[in-house]
Order: sequence, then C-alpha cells, then structure tokens
Amino acid sequence: MAVISLYYRYLERLTGADKETILKRLPMLGSDIERIEENHVDVEFFPSRPDLFSVEGVARAMKGFLGIETGLPGYNVTPSGISFSVDPGLASIRPYLGTAVIRDISLDEEAILSLMGLQEALHWALGRGRSKVAIGIHDLDRVTPPFRYIAEERTRAFVPLDYDREMTMEEILEEHPKGRAYAGIVRDFQRFPLIVDACNQVLSFPPIINGELTRVTGESRNLLLDTTGTDERAVMTAVNILCTALADAGGRIESVEVNGTFMPTLAPTTRLVSARECSALLGIEVTPAELSLLLHRMRYSAEPAGDDKVRVTVPCYRADIMHDWDIFEDAAIAFGYENVRAELPPTFTIGKAHPVITIASCVRALGSGLGYQEVIPFTLTSERVMYTRMQHPVVPGTLCVLHPITEENTMVRTGILPLLLETLQFNRHRELPQRLFAVGDVVEELETYQRAAFVSLHPGADFSEAYAVADALSRELSIPYTPGESGDPAFLEGRRGNLILEGRVAGTFGEIHPAVLNAFELEHSVAAVEIDLRAVPGYPSGLGTP
Amino acid sequence: MDLSLNEKRLIKVLEPLKKSDPATLARAMETSAESVIQFAMLLAGRGLVLLEKEVTTRYAHTDEGSRYAREGLPERQLLQSFKDRIPMSDLTKHPLSRVGIGQMRKKGWAVVRDGVVEKTGKDMPGEDEIALKDPSRGGPGIAVLVKRGLLTEHQGTKYLITLTPEGYALAKSGLKIQPEVGTLTREQIIGGSWKDLHLRHYGLGTLPRKIYPGKVHPYQRLLDEMRQILLEMGFAEIYGGLAQSSFWNFDALFQPQDHPAREMQDTFFLKETVPLPPGYEKVKDMHLHGGTTSSTGWGGNWTKDKAQQCVLRTHTTSLSIQHLVSHPEPPVKVFCIGRVYRRESIDSTHLAEFEQLEGIVMDKDVTFRHLLGFLKEFYGRMGFEGVRFRPGYFPYTEPSVEPEVFVDGLGWVEMGGAGIFREEVRAPWGIRYPVLAWGLGVSRVAMLRLGLKDLRQLYRTDIDLVRETPLWSPLQKSPGGK
Repeated sequence: MAVISLYYRYLERLTGADKETILKRLPMLGSDIERIEENHVDVEFFPSRPDLFSVEGVARAMKGFLGIETGLPGYNVTPSGISFSVDPGLASIRPYLGTAVIRDISLDEEAILSLMGLQEALHWALGRGRSKVAIGIHDLDRVTPPFRYIAEERTRAFVPLDYDREMTMEEILEEHPKGRAYAGIVRDFQRFPLIVDACNQVLSFPPIINGELTRVTGESRNLLLDTTGTDERAVMTAVNILCTALADAGGRIESVEVNGTFMPTLAPTTRLVSARECSALLGIEVTPAELSLLLHRMRYSAEPAGDDKVRVTVPCYRADIMHDWDIFEDAAIAFGYENVRAELPPTFTIGKAHPVITIASCVRALGSGLGYQEVIPFTLTSERVMYTRMQHPVVPGTLCVLHPITEENTMVRTGILPLLLETLQFNRHRELPQRLFAVGDVVEELETYQRAAFVSLHPGADFSEAYAVADALSRELSIPYTPGESGDPAFLEGRRGNLILEGRVAGTFGEIHPAVLNAFELEHSVAAVEIDLRAVPGYPSGLGTP
Repeated sequence: MDLSLNEKRLIKVLEPLKKSDPATLARAMETSAESVIQFAMLLAGRGLVLLEKEVTTRYAHTDEGSRYAREGLPERQLLQSFKDRIPMSDLTKHPLSRVGIGQMRKKGWAVVRDGVVEKTGKDMPGEDEIALKDPSRGGPGIAVLVKRGLLTEHQGTKYLITLTPEGYALAKSGLKIQPEVGTLTREQIIGGSWKDLHLRHYGLGTLPRKIYPGKVHPYQRLLDEMRQILLEMGFAEIYGGLAQSSFWNFDALFQPQDHPAREMQDTFFLKETVPLPPGYEKVKDMHLHGGTTSSTGWGGNWTKDKAQQCVLRTHTTSLSIQHLVSHPEPPVKVFCIGRVYRRESIDSTHLAEFEQLEGIVMDKDVTFRHLLGFLKEFYGRMGFEGVRFRPGYFPYTEPSVEPEVFVDGLGWVEMGGAGIFREEVRAPWGIRYPVLAWGLGVSRVAMLRLGLKDLRQLYRTDIDLVRETPLWSPLQKSPGGK
C-alpha cells in the first residue's frame, strides 16, 4: 500500500478547506489515516488510485468531494516545439517513452516533498518497482533539445545523481546505491537505455538513475519529464498523473513530439453508462440527472444523454476506470457509504453443513469425550519434523514450497501426528497427563484431505491405551476395521498396529518409539493414533484436488 | 465442634504426652506419620493443637567430596607436590592439575611467572577446607563446596505437635470415639445399615484437586460459532484444496499476471502445474481486452504457463469462484472457513498461514445495500453491535467496502473486506447475476476475543491456554444474542 505524507499548509492552500474538515472526510473517500503528525498526516491510499498519491491529487479530489469545486478539472496543453526520438534498438529492452515539458513552475519545499513522494509511490504501485515504469524529472534549462532516448554501450560514462565523478553505466550498477537496488531490471541486456540531449549530455539512465546535470531544485523553473517502461498504458498513466499534479502546483504543461506524435494530450475519455444499471448495482435509485450530479463531485463531467444514459467524461489521470462499475462505485462514494441504508436481501436459501467439516466436528466431540484437549497446529512444517524425527521415509507426493522463508516451513504436512509430538515438546513443563488431539487438512499428491491424530503422554501410556482409543474412534466413526500388523518405524515393533479397511491402511496406532521420543525431547511414553478420515462413511470422494 | 474420628483419636493420644512428634504419634495411632501431620493440620485449624514446623538442612559429601575430605582438595595436593617452584610444563603432568592449578592461583597460593609456578607462602587452610572436613559445623565454606559439587544439600522437615489449652480442655471433657465411615458400600446402602453409621463429614476448606476436561480449542470454538451463524443465515458450506492453480487463485479473479501478489515474495508457489479448465480462453480475453463487457481489461500479456502453476491458496475466494462456475444459476449462498497462506516472515502479528472466513451471495436483484445488510447482520450476531462502512479496494470487487466494528477500548477496528464481484470475474462463465462477497481474517477476531497478544499462540498451543480458557466465557455471547 502507498502511504503518502500530506503537509497541512500546502493541502489547505490547494483545497481551500481547513485540515479538520479534510481529515474527517478523507477516509470516506477511500483511505486509511495512518499517523497524524504536527505538520502533516500520513495517509494510505489504495493502489488503484495512483492519482491520489500527491497533495495536489488529494486536494483536487477533496475539492469535489467537499463540493468546493466539482466537475472535470481542465488542463491546457500547448506545443513546446521540442522533440524526442526513440531508438528502435530499445524495442526489446524498454520500448516505451512518455514525456512532457512543464514551464514556469516554482516549487516550494512542501511541493518538492509532494513531488518526490508521488514519484516514489508511482514507482511502487504503477511501476512495479521501476520495472514496468520509471520516472525522471529534469531541470530543462540545463540541457539542449532535441532529446534522444537510445540504447547505449554499457561502458558509456556520466556523472550520476549524488556523485561528483563520472561512472560507466556498468559501474553504476555495481557501486551506486540505486544501481545496486535496480540492477536486476537491465543487467541482462547487451545495451542499456539512456536519455541524452542534442549535445550528447546525459539526462538519465532509466530506470536506474538521473544525471547530476539536470538535478531539480527550488530554483528550477522549467522541467522535462521522462517516463520509460515496458507497458505503454502504464507509462502514459504516469505522465498524466505527474502532469496534472504539476499543473495543479502551478506549472504550464507543454507537449513534446515523440517520433511524430505529440504528448501528452491530457485528454479525458468518455463512457456512456446506464443510470438503471447503476441503481441495480447499488440498490439506490438514481436518475440520470442525479447520477450526473454525484459524478461531478468525483471530478467527472457527466450529463444525461437520453433514455437512462449518462455521458461521463473521465479525467485522464483516472487509470482505474476500466469498466462502467468503476464509475458506479464512485457514485456510491459520492453518495456516501454512511448514507446507504443496509438491508438484508430477500434471497431464500437453506443452510447446509459440508460433510467433511461435520465429520471433523464429530471427531472433536469424540476427542473431548475421551478427555483429550484440542490443538490447532500449523499445516506448514519441515522434512525434519515430518520425517527425520519420525524415522519415516518421505511420503511420495509431498508438497514442497518453492521459496520457503525459513527451514521450519518448507512443506505442507502429510500427517498430523508429528505436529502433535512437536506440541508436546513445547509443553514439556506443563502438568501431566497430557492428552491432545488435532483434526485438519493434509496434502498428498496435490489432494487435500483430512486426518485426525491423538496423543497421550504420561508415565503409563502404552500400546493397549492406543489400541483402545483407536478402537473407540473407529466404532464411533463407523469404520469397520480389521487390525493389521504395522511397519511404521515411528512406533515400537510389537507395540503397533494398523486399522485396515478394504485392504487399505485407514489408520495407525501404538506406542511411540523411544528414539522418536528422544528426537522430540519427550521423557515419558506416548500412546498415539492417527486416522485417515476418508475412511469415514459419507466422506465425499474426489474433493480437494486442483 | 464436629471432629473426625482421626482428629479425636489424635487428641486422645496426645492428651498424656502434651507434645510429641509425628513418628511417635503414628506408632500409637497405627497410622503413618504423613497422616498424623494431616490430622494435626486440621486440628491446628481449629486451634486445638499447635503444629510447629522446623526445616533442617544437612550437607553430605559427594563421592568426589569424600575423597578430597580424606586426601585434601586438588589444589592442596598439587601445592604439596612440589617444593618452592616448578615449571608449568611439569606441573601439568600431575593428574589433578586441570582443576588444581586454577584454584591455586585463584586462592593466591601460587603465581605463574615465565612459565614457572612459584609458591607465595600464603597458603593457610581456607574456609572451604575446614567445611570439607566437617560439613555439620556449617560456615561460609559450605556454599563454595556445594557449587564445586563436593557437597550436596538435603533438606528435612521436622514437626512438633503440642496440645493447646483448648485441646486439653476438650480432651478432659471426654471425646466420644466411634468408628466413622467414608465411602458407603453397596451392602450398607441396600441393607439399611447406613442409618446407624457415623458418616464422616468432609470440610470445604480444602480445595478439590484440579481436573481438566477434554475440550475443543477456544479458537476452534470461535470458528464453530461463526460457522453456526452462517448456517443459520442459510449459507451452504464449501470445502476445497489447499493447493490451487494460479488460474483459480488469481486469473479467474481478474488479478493481472504482473500483480505484486503474484510475485514469489508474497505467495508460496509450488513446482506442480495443472491443466487449465475448459473456457479459460474467455478469462484470457477478459485480461487482455475486457472480453465482451464494458471493461478495457488489463492489456499487456497473459500466458498459460503462469496460470497453470500451483500455489498454496492465498484466499478461499479461489473456492468460491469455482463453486459459482459449477453453479451458475441463482440463488447461491455459500461460505467457507479455511486455512490460507501468505509468504510472510512469522512474528507476533504476521503468520504464513491463518484462517479466512468467506461468504458469497449470488442472486437476481441483490445489490450493494444488501451486501451491507449481510455484513451488519453477521457482525451483529458475532457480538459487534457497532458496524460502519468505508470505501475499500480489492482487485476482484467493485464496489468494494471495508467494514469496521466498534470494540470497547480499541475504537473502530477494520474487520475484513467485502464487495460485489467485478463483471470481469463472472462474465467469462455466464454467471448473469451479481455476486456479493465478503472475507474476514478470523485470527484477528480470535485475538480480540481471547485477549491474545501474539497470533502464534493460536497455533503453537500452550496446553494451559486450552485448560484455563473457560468453555463458556462472558465474551462468548450467546449465538444470535445481541
């Protein structure tokens, strides 16, 4: 999530409302207030609304929401006469370029902070960590147009931002903090993207770092924007969001000719939506005229267009408007979620428990009746707990995660008993006897199904206790088993058995092997039972496989 | 005063003696000394005897200690093994050198200069050596020897029982000694002899032994309560696999293939792949250009490979969408409570797996208002009386809403998320009516209800948490109660 710092003075000046009013209404526009500080507030906005990642953007939206200034904000774009060429050699590297010129701007400290925050948040939300979109802002007066976006030799050198000496692009990837952070995006290419001016001076090495030459300061009056990336739509969205924010900050936007096309246009798009469809979605009756009014408060332009239609003009910075319903949601926000009267739907249905969960509940009732306490262990575990300590070979079809975070979480459990022994280990200092059970999901060969396990730890725990519990569970769960010899090495030879149903092992029980007790640091004997709940009549087959 | 038979007998035995010890009294009463102490405790409670307790400590030599008591401490033996000085290399050949050299230097008996050990002449016997000869004399040397493992400490308790003037008066007044019965036998009950028996009375002052009933984990009880609420509200329960294809976990829910949640930092990917279901092309079209809806789609690329890769489900919505695909006709009202996974480093507020509760309603004419109605009703039944709604964002719902509930002492707490499935989600499968959906991280509710500070406590169970959490606690409002 993007957390944006909104500086009160700047926010109040741009919005034309006091901060108390703004803070009170901000959550109802769609945000979480994280921290209220003396001179600013940190607010988290949704990734779908990158246009709110600046003070300028928030002020623009709040003006509409508070009714101070509604309807579509207008943005004029005049030609700058500047051109920018894109080298075809970039097609397989970083093909798309978006650009604009911003004239006559004067950024005070808070405006610069807002711009930096916007740039950073866009890199994260829209740019996917700069891989999809990266942004550079330059002091235009330090360089000479026309500009060229080229695929350059990796050994080309220039002075990167925050350095006072020339470095080759390869060196930047090795040594510069930004180079090291983002090297992965370009490292594998033969040539690197570079932006240069008419005199071959370097403006930027996208997506890594700008040149020191064009550093933006409070003194900068004319700016050049570059956004480069791999997705044309995202690149242009970034240009639109930055340009509208800079225009709101007092700049004049001018277009640049890129390979024969002028950009940006900052032109809105239009959609013809149905007021009836909106009413049906929200459960709030709105006429086309009412819908238009609501949308004006969300900074759209909208007018009834015959029948139940409304022609909606969507500002260029609203990249999230993909579908008519996105507009209807905005209508609901303008209406106010707090004003929507909640009502239960008329839908009549009859509740129905799932047999797998009902069987699990039944096991819990039995566990309680037998005097066992339930625990709910993790399903993620390790080969060490699941197999090594249990002296058990690896079960075929064990599901391993590809990038585990820790050695404890490398696989999904194929049984529950080892997790219960681990729980006993956590509880070594607790009063005896300890009788525990757990019921839940395991996965084998991609199939998820349920097992239940029972352990009883006390000085007298033995085979006959385990056998009696296994028998009681089987009787109560209607599993007509026959006892069979077990070869499970987690149990003592001669003190173990299987529950056999239709020739298949439906469960195992017995006295845990002392070597296994040692592995779990347990000091008393443990009688244990584990049952495959697919053996319970009524357990549905063919479930739990993707 | 209602004395038990044993109490009376103890007073009788004590009467001529005035005071005695448990062993003597036990012989006279033909019982054990432990029992005598028990009876005396009861009488002491009534002020009839005085029970004095004296704890005595005795020290005994360990095997090593008794050897040194005879032969001298290792450092003493070592000191005596040479005259004024000796090269360190020679001294280390002495069998006791490992312990002795250090102690010798520590006590200042000898110094080491240029590899030569030299006596200082200050080697008077220390407190420890005096104590080692005769531990019963005590003294400051004892603690050092216990620490060195040369002595062990044994504690004993001695009791002295004295009849008080009140007890003596009672004994004088004459006590009627009559056999008492504890447990009634079958014969006594059916034969009627119980009428003539003197039944022993038991005191309430002694608390009973604590027994712990077998029971369901408090967290599971909360899950059961939620399940019960949803069943009562007419929802059918669904269940499904922990492993899901990326297709059902993400693509079918209109999460773009370059969405951050689909990177290996956030999700547990598996090496397994599964074939895509028939009709997947429509989902692909939806991603690329919005299919036949008013949507623009995400644009960019969409690959089959990425959709086929399995993941540990990041939400149970993967089950809801599959249920809708196989039940596209209204009405559908289903819920699921199941484990979901996030690739998170585990700490007190983050787990890599936790329970999610999710419900969907698909029907003709259901609206956003109805969604809010459901949420209010559900949270109300959970015991949260104040519920309010804020705009939210989820990739597969539009409109989206974040419900908040009011919790005493905490204020408004965000509680899950909800919304109406985007048309992009249902259109590929011919699902014609709106789908209201909401989800909730249940562990959060459990923390509030059980007053836990650390999420891990739910899964890495301390047995005492289960033992000490009452099955029915005041927080556990009656299901349906408001």
